[in-house]
Amino acid sequence: MAFRRLLSAAVRRRSAAAAAAAGPGNAREASTAVAAAGPGVIAPDAAPVRPPMMVYDRIAEAVNARLRRLEHPDPRFLRYASPVPAHADHTAILAAPETRVTTLPNGLRVATESSLASRTATVGVWIDAGSRYETEDSAGVAHFVEHMLFKGTGDRNAAQLEEEIENIGGHLNAYTSREQTTYYAKVLDKDVPRALNILADILQHSKLEESRIERERDVILREMEEVEGQYEEVIFDHLHATAFQYTSLGRPILGSAENVKSITQEDLQKYIETHYTAPRMVITAAGAVKHDDIVEMATKLFNDLPTDPTTTSMLVSTQPACFTGSEVRIIDDDMPLAQFAVAFNGASWIDPDSIALMVMQSMLGSWNKSAGGGKHMGSELVQRVAINDIAESIMAFNTNYKDTGLFGVYAVAKPDCLDDLAFAIMQEISKLSYRVTEEDVIRARNQLKSSIQLHLDGSTAVVEDIGRQLLIYGRRIPIPELFARIDAVDASTVKRVANRFIFDQDIAIAAMGPIQGLPDYNWFRRRTYMLRY
Amino acid sequence: MYRIAGSHLRSLKRYSYSRFASTSVVKQSSGGLFSWLLGEKSSQLPPLDVPLPGITLPPPLPDFVEPSKTKVTTLPNGIKIASETSVSPAASVGLYIDCGSIYETPASSGASHLLERMAFKSTTNRSHLRLVREVEAIGGNVSASASREQMCYTYDAFKAYVPEMVEVLIDSVRNPAFFNWEIKEQLEKIKAEIAEVSDNPQGLLLEALHSAGYSGALAKPLMAPQSAIHRLDSSILEEFIAENYTAPRMVLAASGVEHDELVSIAEPLLSDLPSVKRPEEPKSVYVGGDYRCQADSDKTHIALAFEVPGGWFEEKTAIIVTVLQMLMGGGGSFSAGGPGKGMHSRLYLRILNNYHQIESFSAFNSIYNHSGLFGIHATTSPNFASKAVDLAAGELLEVATPGKVTQEQLDRAKQATKSAVLMNLESRVVASEDIGRQILTYGERKPIEHFLKDLEAITLNDISSTAKKIISSPLTLASWGDVIHVPSYESVSQKFFSK
Repeated sequence: MAFRRLLSAAVRRRSAAAAAAAGPGNAREASTAVAAAGPGVIAPDAAPVRPPMMVYDRIAEAVNARLRRLEHPDPRFLRYASPVPAHADHTAILAAPETRVTTLPNGLRVATESSLASRTATVGVWIDAGSRYETEDSAGVAHFVEHMLFKGTGDRNAAQLEEEIENIGGHLNAYTSREQTTYYAKVLDKDVPRALNILADILQHSKLEESRIERERDVILREMEEVEGQYEEVIFDHLHATAFQYTSLGRPILGSAENVKSITQEDLQKYIETHYTAPRMVITAAGAVKHDDIVEMATKLFNDLPTDPTTTSMLVSTQPACFTGSEVRIIDDDMPLAQFAVAFNGASWIDPDSIALMVMQSMLGSWNKSAGGGKHMGSELVQRVAINDIAESIMAFNTNYKDTGLFGVYAVAKPDCLDDLAFAIMQEISKLSYRVTEEDVIRARNQLKSSIQLHLDGSTAVVEDIGRQLLIYGRRIPIPELFARIDAVDASTVKRVANRFIFDQDIAIAAMGPIQGLPDYNWFRRRTYMLRY
Repeated sequence: MYRIAGSHLRSLKRYSYSRFASTSVVKQSSGGLFSWLLGEKSSQLPPLDVPLPGITLPPPLPDFVEPSKTKVTTLPNGIKIASETSVSPAASVGLYIDCGSIYETPASSGASHLLERMAFKSTTNRSHLRLVREVEAIGGNVSASASREQMCYTYDAFKAYVPEMVEVLIDSVRNPAFFNWEIKEQLEKIKAEIAEVSDNPQGLLLEALHSAGYSGALAKPLMAPQSAIHRLDSSILEEFIAENYTAPRMVLAASGVEHDELVSIAEPLLSDLPSVKRPEEPKSVYVGGDYRCQADSDKTHIALAFEVPGGWFEEKTAIIVTVLQMLMGGGGSFSAGGPGKGMHSRLYLRILNNYHQIESFSAFNSIYNHSGLFGIHATTSPNFASKAVDLAAGELLEVATPGKVTQEQLDRAKQATKSAVLMNLESRVVASEDIGRQILTYGERKPIEHFLKDLEAITLNDISSTAKKIISSPLTLASWGDVIHVPSYESVSQKFFSK
């Protein structure tokens, strides 16, 4: 019954917004919706010991005086913006510099996007290798290798390497994920050759000295302690561990402390020779770079890489990730807030439905208490959470891998709200299989397209985009094509995809904190569909 | 099977079931009413590693696109509209106002903080609901920030939506409704924010440095004080806005927007803003001072600071101070390290690598129009606090002594500063903000070459003489946490006077 009333309220609000969009003169109706909320909110403030009528009258008069200002909106300010999402074709403004790709004889690919007016550039190496390609005995070696490559080569020791980068004001970064590893440098335009030289040196000629390995063990163990304090990271590690249990995708990226303590120089060397091969690498550059120059330098510098033709598709097919419906619960009453994530098996990178899942992620939305506008957001999940104050933060997520994915919601809440929050989450997720409005889909599509494009702000983001896409798709998808795929998602597509991934499908749950109030696994599983007969 | 079918039919009856393609590029499958029943899982779209047929791509941009100049138009009432174009599909629009906590009075203390939170709420022309939906409908991002001297409201989205962006942005800044319930909600959030201030000791110390080190405008708190929770209401905010949000003190700045288009959209919305003569900026006098706060913490946080004379209006000095901060650098004692992380700055090489009791040690600066702060912040174990203060004082004295800084170190710092500036300006959002803030401060946007030329001209003498000038001002000492072992203000201050 409460839900029905809430739904009616949502519908009424939408109607008011639609009426307001019809023209400036109708803004009064939207104002009326605001007026209706006013006195109700004010009334509880009245002090009971004082004459209630008098205080109420004064407050009501003040509110009414303020509300009367809304009766004559200024038409100058209501000419363009509309709260109703509309499909828009941005092809005309989506022109971008050309992405050029050249494959060298050893299988190494070079991809660039030039913006010669820029004075800075980013060059990077993206490698199709990550923690899922480790062996059980050497879990954590991918991350360990990433650390060790900065600790000295035949030509440069660690201090010289650091000093060289700092003397040119550059940044050298690396990160390891489950399926990809990247090393990139951001420098001024004239220092691009030096940056490429450094990247080539560390990737091909790292010394992996024993003494450095021992010191770096301590650094990584310390980093693990830091990550243990980041609850969101921990939850997702547990989520992967349980969703992909008994498969390599379930292992944490950093490995375990025991593994880190036992990794040897031989393990590191073997990993580099096996996985840092030319066909699995992409050299990317963006900003003040010229494609021919980068190709020439790459040909000259990256000539000492292993050329094993094994692809990650082969590795994945021998050890596929297998999703298992399951859960991890860690009760810890010392934590002030409970956190949990609920995930379905998602789409792989190249699955066409991965685009629809991205749109669905936008539809579910994300929100936290310090953000404004929760009560009024288009996502009904966020509306329910914000209006009823049942979570500190909530975030829909969609993670893709080569042969699988995770799609779900992560939330942080007070212990006494967990049952209401769990209900809201499962209700809104399962609703995607049944009731989807075109307006919600269009809004989510617009938000998705916007976030994709607004993220490409600077040469580092462009380099990351090129590298990631070449490893995943074998090409960089032009933005107009990507947007066309997004616009192909309509309400019926959302329902079909939700039926495929959500309706009566197994879920994985990871939860930490004071989670005694969180419903049990079967409760969640039962609510992956609605009983409506 | 029967039950599932029934369930779906019932939902069909209740809600109109429409299926249509939203783009002509892709034809949806006409699987029919019961396609879901037959388990149709195939999609009409090819996998993402296969190009989608029928897509018309716009011709690619040339490799070299001339950067656009910044164009500025001043409306008759004094407000400025500034923009630059770019080839990116995205645009960033911001409204910058020469107003901040320094303009608050005791009665309106905390107004800037509350105004920051009341941005993009209900206006007299649109409800908060409508405003949120309008931003969501185009996938935009809005944000507001308040500082001591400037307010900033920004809106990012596709450049095709510039009219919508400008309209909503200006409406929310010019015509706020300030409903009591919205203000009350934000005051509750401010109260929670005040309660959590101890989670950010560095921010807390920076506030302490301002309140203890200055008398006058810059001493006013940027974060709303506790008393503001019960004092601030809509009339106070309205008076503050009426007094300070006037045309000559505003700049509408945009990146990625055609200038003529921007002016034609914005002029009807801004031309009737009151044209009030720009008031004199409230005075601040740097006096130095001591602040210490015993708190339940197992660490000691300390900050030493001095005045940067002249502030932004002393451009060369401000640039030298920026390089000086990069030269000293510093950071946390735990770092995964790696090239480009500042591991070869002076504070890393001389302090952090040698004293494990120090958890973090870094130089910082805050520069305002006519003044600024420069100093060192340290986090350490309590019994090492005295030594940490000695080390900080020693480092500041060192850079002020000619001959103590090598040319190599200076070159590295200058290169790092240059890189940081150029890399940041790659971002459309940063470029838009740069336009707005520079025009507010200087009345024009100075080209980047102007800055780089001054940067290249910095010499070792400039560094030591500027540092000497800085430490010749009175000391401000702030500490928080377990402050038992922090030395007295007089003993620390004497280290600088005796030389």
